[in-house]
Amino acid sequence: MIMHSKKIHVMPLNRVEGDLEIHFEIENGMVSEVRSAGTMYRGFENLLKGRAPLDGLVITPRICGICSTSHLKAAVKALDMIAGVNVPDDAVRVRNLTLMAEQLQNDLRHTFLLFTPDFTSPAYREHSLFEEAVKRYRPLQGETVVTTIRETKKILEIIAILGGQWPHSSFMVPGGVVSVPGQNDISQCRSLLANFRHWYERRVLGCTLARWSEVKTPEDLDLWLHEKRAHQESDLGFFIRFSREAQLHQLGNGHQNFISFGAYEMPLETSVKPPSDELYLFPAGFFENGLMSPFDQEKITEDVTFSHFKSHGDPRHPFEETTVIETPHINNDAYSWGKAPRYDGHPAETGPLAELVMASDPLIKALLKKDGPNVLLRQLARLIRPTFLLPAMDCFLKETGVGNEIFYRKNKQQESGRGFGLVQAHRGALGHWVTLQDGKIAQYQVITPTTWNASPRDGKGIRGPWEEALVGTLIKNPEHPVEIEHTIRSFDPCMVCCVHAVVGHGKGPTAKIFC
Amino acid sequence: MSMTLYWIQGGGCGGDTWSFLSAESPDVTELFDILSIEVLWHPSLSALDLKSKEQLDRRILEDEVPLDILCVEGSVIQGPSGTGLADTILGKPKKDLISALTAKARHVIAVGTCASFGGFGTDSETEATGLQFHKHDLGGFLGKRYKSKSGGPVINLPGCPCHSDVLAGTLSALANDLPLELNETNSPLDWYRIMVHQGCTRNEYHEYRVEEKQFGEKGCLFFYMGCQGPLVKGPCNKILWNRRSSKTRVGVPCFGCTHPDFPQRYPFFKTRNIEGIPIELPAGVSRAHYMAYKSMAAAAAPKRLIKRKSGI
Repeated sequence: MIMHSKKIHVMPLNRVEGDLEIHFEIENGMVSEVRSAGTMYRGFENLLKGRAPLDGLVITPRICGICSTSHLKAAVKALDMIAGVNVPDDAVRVRNLTLMAEQLQNDLRHTFLLFTPDFTSPAYREHSLFEEAVKRYRPLQGETVVTTIRETKKILEIIAILGGQWPHSSFMVPGGVVSVPGQNDISQCRSLLANFRHWYERRVLGCTLARWSEVKTPEDLDLWLHEKRAHQESDLGFFIRFSREAQLHQLGNGHQNFISFGAYEMPLETSVKPPSDELYLFPAGFFENGLMSPFDQEKITEDVTFSHFKSHGDPRHPFEETTVIETPHINNDAYSWGKAPRYDGHPAETGPLAELVMASDPLIKALLKKDGPNVLLRQLARLIRPTFLLPAMDCFLKETGVGNEIFYRKNKQQESGRGFGLVQAHRGALGHWVTLQDGKIAQYQVITPTTWNASPRDGKGIRGPWEEALVGTLIKNPEHPVEIEHTIRSFDPCMVCCVHAVVGHGKGPTAKIFC
Repeated sequence: MSMTLYWIQGGGCGGDTWSFLSAESPDVTELFDILSIEVLWHPSLSALDLKSKEQLDRRILEDEVPLDILCVEGSVIQGPSGTGLADTILGKPKKDLISALTAKARHVIAVGTCASFGGFGTDSETEATGLQFHKHDLGGFLGKRYKSKSGGPVINLPGCPCHSDVLAGTLSALANDLPLELNETNSPLDWYRIMVHQGCTRNEYHEYRVEEKQFGEKGCLFFYMGCQGPLVKGPCNKILWNRRSSKTRVGVPCFGCTHPDFPQRYPFFKTRNIEGIPIELPAGVSRAHYMAYKSMAAAAAPKRLIKRKSGI
């Protein structure tokens, strides 16, 4: 006889940027319902209203301590658009280089400080690689943790050289960047990059970037893994071996929709050859049913059917959207303080996996076809994203300041106007929509990557990406629901970025989603 | 003798944690090792499961586990309407846990401007405040009379973010039982009696009043571009950021992020001034003398500075 049991659990998650609680129901050992709750409200958008146009360059980086340069870039792109200024090539390079350095830091810190510590959970006591995992990933002491802290802070020195400090600088301004790096500054950045690359190749990949670039199919990946001890024992090799035994490739499927706003604009003249696009290193696009379509920001809407916000009827574009809080009891269906961003009416997952899908990376696409999106694949995409960034950074550094050395182009500050700044932040698609009126910020809307990934249901009842990824998950031991932790952390959630998250007065599991 | 450390995050961005990871010689793992500090809990770095974390909290509050150093990052969120429900943990206001922990801690450190003075959210519906200051005013969340078990007030380490050396140095002093002399806002004098401006490589331009009105130039940013370096205390140009540079050195004005009023209401990239002289002058400076000094300085400016030939 099958025992029918249903139990509600509430689990706070740490090692996500900020505070998150997952409310889930387990029925017959399987997650049958889920709500994710951001438990902090910071109100950054409201802080910006009425302030001077450039103040967003100081305030929005402070939304997030691990991706402040991403917010700076989104903020400055919106202001570039309002000013109607073309950013000179060297400034494009400096903006890209600094964001890339921050991304290298993020991808490795997320993987080894936030994600793999779950491998040391008591849930894995029986895993054949448990002891080795503890040796590598024990908080503040594991071998990989220690070297990750050491190496990631060094790559951030590039941002300090080019932009003054990390985190929370404001060196990007409409028309370019404020700094004028000299030849020695660039040389120092090149040395820092070379050292980081050396560590990444030796410790994380276990091989050169050139050898890794030959891995184009799942069969190539197996060949690579079995080729050498260095590959098996690198952190990438270890991650794959551990994850396969733990069957993380069968965990956290979700929708098969992806969105990317496009990452890293190419300067007009550069030797960097993007894999599949002229404009971006990782192209913009929307991916659905195995097909990619061109991206158009006009198709973004915010749905509030299941959110505690006043509805205007049909979902609106962020420029048109207003945020009017509605008392929870007015709409009994609403369970979320978060809006549901949709692209052409669809939910979409965003992050490194989305970027590599859009770039048609053969290995990632083949693995996606085989198993669908999953925890292993999301984390693999994050771990190998540096293989694309490192060579591009090397080229940009060689080219910076070589031509006419223009890092800033004068422009007139507009009193009124509107613009948007879209970037790929480290966890995915980030947009700032800015309206200026009479020399002040009239409206500031931010949609963060986590808003996409943690979206609640929309008017059609379709779940957001990580809700969908969690439903149906088998939980082996409800005392240590490591499956939930893996799935959520594979999206690299950034709760501090969820700027208009408001806590709900939750009733049991029908509590609150955020953003 | 080893010490225990517990880190809690309130209304913040996590930036003080990530900034702390830039500590060098020793780095954070070496620092904890050298000082024999046992990290009981850090929200971004620990891997305790829920049950163990709850047990840890209970044992600290019941005096079974000593709490030597409590680091608080981010503001204390008291809103909306005094409920604290804009920042909760398992449905309860996080401010209650902060309050309970501060009652047990031997030393309390406010890491960053939000924890020190309230920072972002002090004027919003989140009703954010600092641990023992609300902007300039002593009091804040814990009140004027609060003393940690060591008998001292909350040690404020402002900065957005707090510089890693400042926190590392403060932890070293506490672990070695050395006295920390504090200024009027309870920040250690070692780092908070120097002006941000000291050590800026644009100082020669400043001396001769070679002032910029647009971005991307080498001169001083104080008169027109909103730089608060001569007005605000902080070690940015003494110990540098990420061991390399500072905002003012590369041409970003100082936004006064260590100041109790940060983020100020006035525009960040514009200096408020009267007839070309900033309204706010360095503390203790007479306006008449300053105007005379600056006009003479401008007259004495050498051509190499006027033509921006001098390096920065």
